[in-house]
Amino acid sequence: MFARLFHSAEARRILYAYIAALALFIIGQIVRPGFLSPASVESVLLIASFVGLVAAGQTFVILIGGIDLSVPWVLNAAAILLATSSLGENARTAQALLITLGMGALVGLANGVGIAFLGVPAVVMTLAANGIMEGLTLGLSGGMTCESCASYAPPLVQALTHSKFLGIPSALWLWFAITLLVSIALSATRFGRHTYAIGTNARASFLAGVNVTATTVILYMLSGIFSALAGIMLVSFGGQAALGMGDPYLFQSIAAVVIGGVYILGGRGHYIGSVAGAICLVTLISVLLALNMPEYGRNIIYGVIILLLLLFYGREEEES
Amino acid sequence: MPQYKAMEHTALAQPFRRSAAAHALGQNIGLILVCILLIASILAYCGIYYAAQERLPGGFEITSTVNNTMPLVLAALAQTVVVLTRGLDLSVGGMMDLSNAIAAVTLSASLGSMVFWSVAILALGALLGLLNGVLVAIGRLQPILVTLATLSIFQGLAIRVLPQPGGAVPEAYTAALVSTKAPYALLYVIAFGVLWSAFRRTRLGVSILAVGNDAQAARAHGIDLIRTRIAAYTLSGMLAAAAGLFLAANATAGDATTGNGYTLSSIVAVVLGGVSLFGGRGSAIGAMLGAFVSSMIVNILFFSHIDPLYQAFYEGLFLVLAVVLAEAVGRLVRKAS
Repeated sequence: MFARLFHSAEARRILYAYIAALALFIIGQIVRPGFLSPASVESVLLIASFVGLVAAGQTFVILIGGIDLSVPWVLNAAAILLATSSLGENARTAQALLITLGMGALVGLANGVGIAFLGVPAVVMTLAANGIMEGLTLGLSGGMTCESCASYAPPLVQALTHSKFLGIPSALWLWFAITLLVSIALSATRFGRHTYAIGTNARASFLAGVNVTATTVILYMLSGIFSALAGIMLVSFGGQAALGMGDPYLFQSIAAVVIGGVYILGGRGHYIGSVAGAICLVTLISVLLALNMPEYGRNIIYGVIILLLLLFYGREEEES
Repeated sequence: MPQYKAMEHTALAQPFRRSAAAHALGQNIGLILVCILLIASILAYCGIYYAAQERLPGGFEITSTVNNTMPLVLAALAQTVVVLTRGLDLSVGGMMDLSNAIAAVTLSASLGSMVFWSVAILALGALLGLLNGVLVAIGRLQPILVTLATLSIFQGLAIRVLPQPGGAVPEAYTAALVSTKAPYALLYVIAFGVLWSAFRRTRLGVSILAVGNDAQAARAHGIDLIRTRIAAYTLSGMLAAAAGLFLAANATAGDATTGNGYTLSSIVAVVLGGVSLFGGRGSAIGAMLGAFVSSMIVNILFFSHIDPLYQAFYEGLFLVLAVVLAEAVGRLVRKAS
């Protein structure tokens, strides 16, 4: 059932991404002994799991040739919403989680409707949605000055995210479960086949009876939900929400998806690759931090390495 | 996205030639819409300004609006050239940061220094744009990924050049680019408009539009795809560097981060200006007007006493509405003509 995953060219790209991640870990161990210690690997993977959650949604929409630029403020709004709607009380946990994930789904719904029904280009629609969420978040929270804005995530959720099961942090278990679910959805369901079909040729899929608009809307909703989930995880990890906490996740999620071998114009790739991409990216950033590299140097090397990775395996096969 | 439905206008559906006027209307609908949008936003701005200040905006307001819009005008031009080839340049903001930072560090009051460093910065912009172009055209990488990576590199270089906001831009330089006496900067806009009209009729101009419209057909007609794409990104890099110079002249000092926001706002200006993100359709004049519409919206929000925290909300809402309406009107016009 995972036949697509073993399709040679795609499988090779995913394999490269895992090899690159492994190589980066080894380089980390060379420049900073102890980088490969269990505690250090665990913390790198934990940070990668946040990127990986956002990248799950980004993978879905990029597979149909779309993109989701609304990630930063959906994530940020989710983090703030979880704290303010629960007021840090365990009793309100369930409803706060529902409201927060529902908010993510709603933004995704709006994105999907704008793109699939109104014909707005995905870049424009999700860029506008990001602005709308930024304005709403800042305005409704009074720039994080509202009374409930100082609330923490419910202790129950905080304890859960910090807990370990069989010696492995539960955040990583969550990521593992989501990787499994997303992989099954992509490789073994009708929904997954439709997603790849739309990414390969939307018109042909439409003529073949695929409900292109409905699938597109669902994919953007999933992306919104995953961004919100990443926001929930981040706020439960750090305890409190902050303005601008979502900003790094836009470029990182896109970079992770691309490093993982997903074709940016859609139709090819797999979330298994994006997972490797997220690990690669976060390991790279950690190595650069371990080297005490100043900010400018990190920016430059980060860009150069992404370019090198792309030149290595991100090239288009045929001249367009 | 619903390209799968884009079968409305086949040759069979339109057996007769359209009249010249209808053809011109259909061809320039994006430009016409952005003109209407600009006039409407200026009227709305004047109305709100009058309600708040009991007088119409005077010379000072006009001059400062024009001057504040100039960096975005140049950024929109930079974005247009690349978008027309069906690409996207996310490094515009990083290039502006770099150019802004170098200008703040190097410019001194002598004429020779100002001319030399301006030319040097523009040349650097062209060189870095060339790098983008080579990676996209010869490296066969997706534009959005290449420029995402170079954005990070350019921002890093900018912070290296100017770690803290500072430096100084000579008064004479500010006066030459964005005179505070009168909206002389509009002369640049007019000059760019004239230059664009000439440019789009040159071999390179036609090639850029053709590549964006249909790369295969363009190649079949003997257009060198690689050279055209490289030229477009080079031009874009130089224009983005010019945008950074205007930013420096405006602020009279340097800051290696103020350019960041221009990547996204240049895309907004281009879209408002009726340039198709699918390439091959649109004009730089429209994009420049789109830049002015963007800043009029900011002005309107400011004077209508909307909580500045909500500014991004209204801008986002307006962007979606403008695109949806423009699409609907464009479809109506094309159907009617």
